[in-house]
Amino acid sequence: MSPPLLRIDNLCVRTRDGGLLVDDVQLDLARGEMLSLVGESGSGKSLTAAAILRLLPRGLVATGRIAFEGADLLALDEASMRAMRGGRIGMVFQNPLSALNPTRTIGRQIADPARLHVGADARQAREMALQMLAEVGIPDPKARIDDYPHQFSGGMRQRVAIAMALVCHPKLLIADEPTTALDPIVAAQILELIGGLRRRHDMAVLFISHNLAVVRAHTDCVQVMYGGRTAERARADVFFAHPRHPYGRALLDAAPDLATVVAAPPGYALPALPGQPPDPLARPPGCAFAPRCPAVAPDCEVAVPPLRRLERSEVACLHPVATPAGPRVPAPEAPMSASTHSSRPSLLEVRDLVVRYDRSRTILDGLSFDLAAGECLGIVGESGSGKSTLGRAVLQMVAYQGRIALQGHDFATLRGRAFRDQRRRIQVVFQDPKESLNPRLSVLHSVAEAARLAQGLPRDASLAAARTLLERVRLGAALYDRLPEAISGGQAQRVAIARALAAKPALVVLDEPTSALDVSTQATLLNLLRSIGRAEGLAWLLISHDLAAIAYMADRIAVLRAGRIVELAPPATLVAQPHDPYTAALVAAATG
Amino acid sequence: MPPWARTALSRIATAALSLWILVTLTFFLAHLTPGGPAYAILGMRATPVGVNQVNMRLGLDVPLWMQYLTYLGHLCTLRLGYSFLLNQPVAHLIVMYAANTLLFTSLSIVVGTLAALAIGMVQGASWNRWPGRLIGAWQLATYATPSFFIAGMLVLVFASTLGWLPAGGITDAHMTEPGPLSYARHLVLPVATVSLIVAASLSRYFGQSVAEELERDYVRTARAKGLGLRDILRGEVARNALRPFITLLGLYLPALFAGSVVVETIFDFPGLGWLLWHAALQQDYPTLIGVVLLIGALTIVGNLAAELANAALDPRLRSRTLA
Ligand SMILES: Nc1ncnc2c1ncn2[C@@H]1O[C@H](COP(=O)(O)OP(=O)(O)OP(=O)(O)O)[C@@H](O)[C@H]1O
Ligand code: SF4
Ligand SMILES: [Mg+2]
Repeated sequence: MSPPLLRIDNLCVRTRDGGLLVDDVQLDLARGEMLSLVGESGSGKSLTAAAILRLLPRGLVATGRIAFEGADLLALDEASMRAMRGGRIGMVFQNPLSALNPTRTIGRQIADPARLHVGADARQAREMALQMLAEVGIPDPKARIDDYPHQFSGGMRQRVAIAMALVCHPKLLIADEPTTALDPIVAAQILELIGGLRRRHDMAVLFISHNLAVVRAHTDCVQVMYGGRTAERARADVFFAHPRHPYGRALLDAAPDLATVVAAPPGYALPALPGQPPDPLARPPGCAFAPRCPAVAPDCEVAVPPLRRLERSEVACLHPVATPAGPRVPAPEAPMSASTHSSRPSLLEVRDLVVRYDRSRTILDGLSFDLAAGECLGIVGESGSGKSTLGRAVLQMVAYQGRIALQGHDFATLRGRAFRDQRRRIQVVFQDPKESLNPRLSVLHSVAEAARLAQGLPRDASLAAARTLLERVRLGAALYDRLPEAISGGQAQRVAIARALAAKPALVVLDEPTSALDVSTQATLLNLLRSIGRAEGLAWLLISHDLAAIAYMADRIAVLRAGRIVELAPPATLVAQPHDPYTAALVAAATG
Repeated sequence: MPPWARTALSRIATAALSLWILVTLTFFLAHLTPGGPAYAILGMRATPVGVNQVNMRLGLDVPLWMQYLTYLGHLCTLRLGYSFLLNQPVAHLIVMYAANTLLFTSLSIVVGTLAALAIGMVQGASWNRWPGRLIGAWQLATYATPSFFIAGMLVLVFASTLGWLPAGGITDAHMTEPGPLSYARHLVLPVATVSLIVAASLSRYFGQSVAEELERDYVRTARAKGLGLRDILRGEVARNALRPFITLLGLYLPALFAGSVVVETIFDFPGLGWLLWHAALQQDYPTLIGVVLLIGALTIVGNLAAELANAALDPRLRSRTLA
């Protein structure tokens, strides 16, 4: 058997003060193979990838052995290491806009590695860049090569970034969440592209992703990370058929899967993973997953379980999961109230909504729909289709034509105080929770401030109201005094929801509320939103490009394209018989 | 009207408005102070008759608001009036003294900015580590020292003690008197003083901007392509770090002109600063307002130039500005 292309042994990444962020990771990647690193936020996936190219953030140190094509990367001198980067190993990052230099043409940026590593002169390098642009599917490369990054769409930029990583035909591509910032259809195209290039150039891919549906569809091997360690590794088919590590299993279960979600009975709740990810600076002596593990036993907390072979997988667990991942067993939940949306009176009425920018560009082009109290309406659509603009129009944050009425009162007819009071009954939660919180207010005061502003409560009453709200979003009292910077993304999103609820809204607009969160956090949050909505009779307008998440939450889904609703139906109907070609593509992308 | 024309018009209107406010403020402030040019011209022993005569000759015997309107009227036809003090048209004076200042400050700016770029690059690349911190300490120290003290120290060392350079004192504003070589020697210490100050404050901004750019994602991409730190600094970071720097330069330069007052006075260098100082002392307000106006106009032109330079550097702004 030939040695693997990349072999990592005992990789550790430490901070200066001794914190162990990546702990004894092993990894094998054969020529031409694609391996996915999965695991929740902070599990050490990116640090492992960065250690391979020796691009760790300043202050972090890697030890161990990283053998690539026979050389030990951690022992190479800086010049040889530079020859590896971009020459033998290419890398693509998550955010395709910020990863490109805004003030250099893409042609020059793609040509850099060619000049550096194969000694091409300017003309040859440009020729190579042109070829690569054509290969990654940029139409008319000759006309685009001198354009700047801002002149491309998100998906196109990611193609440019891939061209840049591959111009020297490296044998290994490291892709750290290359599709997370993209909408699912574009993401699917990018993955197709990577797959094709991989086969054509016999290139191995180390792929990092939150999205298990994507991993399942595209990769050969899966390696699950938890708390800086390898929890499990196996071939993808083996892993998805039977995840052995309780964490791997929980991750798989927590990911909303379109087919399961749509077919599930009314009481179905996502099996979310309770608890918090481990703190890398305060590790338990035994298994890091023990505090959250359903199968935990006394021996788990004695010593760190080593990675052991178990049939066709390798698992770091003393009590591996015995049953294969069959069809999902829906967990019981409080039965839904009997009334259905059609019989309920309309809460929000939108008629012939038109939004234009610059007088000429039409963003929304005559939308009409109704939303009942307690209903969740999902809005999906590709980027640029007008989803967020719709949310903003409902929130009265952009000028529009047409009628938007809440509880029968048309906003256009309201003035002054009446308008503001009515407007306050619609609240919003945005994608990036930390951006929307005041960095200098503690969790408790942030919510109390919202209660004070919205309900005019005195100080004590607003603090009491804030406590009740924080309990309702199930945020522990230990977090009340923390500042936004010291809480996780999922926790911050709960604070944002509590703030929205403080205004006693009738309708909450959720604009991509979970897309910045990882799978298990997302599941917890979705369950929370659903139970709050049902308990309070709140209506949600949920905007997202994650069809599975929307199908799980929503009573009906509206598909937006070019500013129009092209389809409006309950999730099951939409998924079973998509009428619009875009819906069909979306369903296909979500099922992998 | 096309949008760019509307933008241009509103810019010009704003500029004119700010200049008018500036003129008015200076005019009334200058007239509010007791005494008056007559005393400055005739000395403190002047007789009332003499003062009246002088005031009549200078047009100071009519009510203040009429003087103001007359002055504004003259300004609109670009007549800056006559200097009470030096008995010459203000426009002449300004051109002559401004030429000296221009030479002196532009030399200082060129030397100071070049030094700032080099120092800032080193500082930005080693932010929070030793060369960077050392530079930071030097910047703060220079910043906290008043310019007259820096000038004084330079004079003490290079003029008084070592005797290498003159401490100042060109009396002829035309600069014909001491000859070009001597003129150049007279310039060295003032230029050194101002360059030092410019280099210290500007290098801090540039250093910070370089350090910020180095944190950006595209730098990580560049490293992942195999570029070394030098290539990254030169090829990727410098240009992007220059953009905020140039905006700042546009704001900073006019202030520098104004700041040259102190240095010019210390070295007795006949530039605009010197003129401003003496005009203020003698309540020679046509000259005073003329100089203030020039500095105001330079501020506005400086901002505009910075905006244009930035647009040229940044393709995103370029398309927006042209659109
Ligand atoms: N520069 C740093 N200094 C100290 N700790 C760090 C640094 N960078 C990352 N960490 C910590 O290292 C751990 C692993 O981080 P890493 O970025 O590898 O996670 P990840 O699995 O890629 O997460 P995500 O899915 O959110 O990208 C986290 O606990 C993180 O807080
Ligand atoms: S070792 Fe124990 S605690 Fe850890 S995952 Fe396995 S069963 Fe759970
Ligand atoms: Mg990561």
